[in-house]
Amino acid sequence: MRTHSYESAVLINAALEDDIIEQIITKLQDSITQYGGTVKLVDKWGRKRLAYPIKKNKIGYYVIFQFDAPVTAIAQIERIYRLEESIIRFLNLKLSKFALEHFADQKAKEAAAKVLEVAPVTSTTVQEAAVAVPKTEK
Amino acid sequence: MKPLMKTKKVCRFTEIGVKYIDYKDIKLLQRFVSEQGRIIPKRITGTKAGYHRELTLAIKRARHMALLPYVSDSVR
Repeated sequence: MRTHSYESAVLINAALEDDIIEQIITKLQDSITQYGGTVKLVDKWGRKRLAYPIKKNKIGYYVIFQFDAPVTAIAQIERIYRLEESIIRFLNLKLSKFALEHFADQKAKEAAAKVLEVAPVTSTTVQEAAVAVPKTEK
Repeated sequence: MKPLMKTKKVCRFTEIGVKYIDYKDIKLLQRFVSEQGRIIPKRITGTKAGYHRELTLAIKRARHMALLPYVSDSVR
């Protein structure tokens, strides 16, 4: 069976409790693996203001999945999205090789930025320590 | 009559060599959308045709996911 890389963005009703949302996310992940897919990345954006109200909701909980799956699985996954009432909107995309390269580059950049971040963090802690010292003297 | 000074418009995407325009990158997309939420034509932004096609698709996807407005609140 041919497999492709896919990305799906799901917008969950933010009026629900956090643990219920977590349950839905794990349920969706399970359903992807159930149909022969492998989840590569789960990106939880959390609650965000919507650009326009959808079904009277003004905020929504965004989750992004990236996964490899056989072609036939997508219809099944979309069916589950439609049946799940707490999902307000979803978007499934097949990722081209350019998209995958783009995401790989982004990851590399983020990793490089993290390495750079380490140095300033230590300097701020030093500054905080310097500020704290005179206080204790008083 | 003096010829008007024309500043050369440069395509932002070709300069950096972008491979894929992500619909989730709202900060980038917002630069190519007017205050009312309309897509700015490529004759004004200077984007290359191929990139503009990708860009419009990305903006429309972002609109579907309520990341960008179809019509901005100021107009409504």
